Amino acid sequence: MEKQIDIREKDGRKYFFRFTLNQRIQHILLAVLVIVLVLTGMPLKFHQAVWAPYLYALFGGIKVAPVIHKIAGVMLIILFIYHLIYLCVTFYQGPVRALKQRNELSAGKVLKALITHPIVPSLKDVKDIINLMKYLLFITNKRPEGAEFTWKEKFDYWGPFWGIAIMGFSGLIMWHKELATRFLPGEVINFALIAHSDEALLAALFLFIWHFYNVHFSTSVFPMEPAFLTGYLSEDMMVEEHYEYYKQVMKEQGREKEILAPHGSRPIQSEKGSETAN
Amino acid sequence: MTVLKKIPRFVFSFWMALLLLAFCKPFDSFAADIGNCLLCHKYPGLSRIDEEGKFKLLYVNEDIFNNSVHAKVKCEGCHPDIQKIPHEPAKKVDCLIQCHIIEPSSEQKFSHQDVQNFLAASVHAKTDQNGNPKKYSEDIPICLDCHDNPLYRPLSFFKRVRPGISEAALGRCRVCHKKDEFIFRFYNHVTTRLHKIRNPKNIAEVCERCHDNPEIVARHNLSTKAVYSYGETFHGKAAHYLDESIPDCLDCHVKPGESVHQMMSHKEPQSITHENNKGKICSNIDCHPKASPTLANYSVHAEFNLDQSSGQYFFKLFFITLTGAVLLPMMGIMFLDLFRRLFPNASLRKRK
Repeated sequence: MEKQIDIREKDGRKYFFRFTLNQRIQHILLAVLVIVLVLTGMPLKFHQAVWAPYLYALFGGIKVAPVIHKIAGVMLIILFIYHLIYLCVTFYQGPVRALKQRNELSAGKVLKALITHPIVPSLKDVKDIINLMKYLLFITNKRPEGAEFTWKEKFDYWGPFWGIAIMGFSGLIMWHKELATRFLPGEVINFALIAHSDEALLAALFLFIWHFYNVHFSTSVFPMEPAFLTGYLSEDMMVEEHYEYYKQVMKEQGREKEILAPHGSRPIQSEKGSETAN
Repeated sequence: MTVLKKIPRFVFSFWMALLLLAFCKPFDSFAADIGNCLLCHKYPGLSRIDEEGKFKLLYVNEDIFNNSVHAKVKCEGCHPDIQKIPHEPAKKVDCLIQCHIIEPSSEQKFSHQDVQNFLAASVHAKTDQNGNPKKYSEDIPICLDCHDNPLYRPLSFFKRVRPGISEAALGRCRVCHKKDEFIFRFYNHVTTRLHKIRNPKNIAEVCERCHDNPEIVARHNLSTKAVYSYGETFHGKAAHYLDESIPDCLDCHVKPGESVHQMMSHKEPQSITHENNKGKICSNIDCHPKASPTLANYSVHAEFNLDQSSGQYFFKLFFITLTGAVLLPMMGIMFLDLFRRLFPNASLRKRK
């Protein structure tokens, strides 16, 4: 029996549990470290730019900024390793232990649990993207009914996941070039520099444009969606982004009658929604 | 008027200019100017149009000259053709003439001829091994192309103190050399050769004049715009941020123990950058002493083109494509999302 999702009510509004304290701390650490890495790395990538020397000087210039970059990089790698362990532990404590308790533990079932894990991309994500395009192009007024993690969130998760792996590995190669080139050809430094530098630019643009739009600048969340601090997501956002999951949670808790109509069937205003629910 | 016409125009204009300038500024004393050349050449604006129609500024800034490496060289040391005042137009300076200093070990008058001999055997020689002029030899640098005083920086042997001649160092000299003039003369001369008087960025800027010139690069069939590609490495970027400790062009292209004037093409077996020798460059005791020779196979002058390295080219292309493929659709969705929010209920097919 899976643990029920906590729903808190405040001022007549429902808030759905999304992120544990552990996850929120990991996210904040990730955010701070990535920002420091971008600020100390981009002036090197774009060293000819007018703004670069000023930004670099803020971090101590060529003598200090690379040291800060390396410290932040090492911390990010440690965070990444911690997150990998965290993933394994939570996966074990969740689906694997459940299989064990039901005496159904087998490699095939563990693999199936892994593939069907809510954060793993699935065919539904492709359908959701197609449905979103239909919605955005005015073909329908029905938004895709998002699951626990939408395709956007999976992008937000797997993007940095791939990015940290690439940049961490290439960064270590460049940092320890003497050691690396004992086993690898010298040209690997060139490949490491391309990967590190270009992936960093992609990651920075992705996070500061796409992720920031979704969690800060979109009219639904501006100035920010506070779930990354509180751990709870408002009912409005659950309806707008995770409608399928929202219905599932409400049903599990026997609150079918309180389920709000999907986004697009009415103006997105929580007061009206609350009235409907009440 | 007929008398005036017989006087050469140059001499006439010279005396007229002198007469005019004499009223503008009183004469100063010229301590180092034995030939009294600054009598005229100290005046800003002293200039003429030469026989080829080129503008020649003849003004000598005494302050700059007195602080230059050639401060103690008499004017006639470089301009031996000038024997009297007023003089005829001076000949072009020949850096190879015997000049001002008696070289202590040989007790002969000093000359830069040895530098020229080294240059003649280097990659920057104007002639080939048979003495025939190289193709496009006019592109090969002469002394002044690299040795331009404005790039020289003040001496500061103890860099952390302040720029200029270090008093701490001079104190050592005074023990034996009583005259400050002697100290300044030899200290300047010797120490400019003991440590680099240009930072790595300055060095790169000197090489850049030719090695990043697209026409010269194309004419001499060079594989890269060398300073541009150096600038894309960590060394080049650190040089851009005025890091003094990182290697510049000369650190890798000049064999340890040799002079910059002996630099060889990477095709020459005795060159440090030759395939068989370049493994020693990075593992220099002062750079990456623990490095294996493989580190030197790192492409310092990578420009990400197909000719140079198809592997790097396609790897770079992959990331550029990935960036475009990720960001452009997402930015499109963002734009559509913003637009859609203006008309939340509009659609071709309505939900029932």
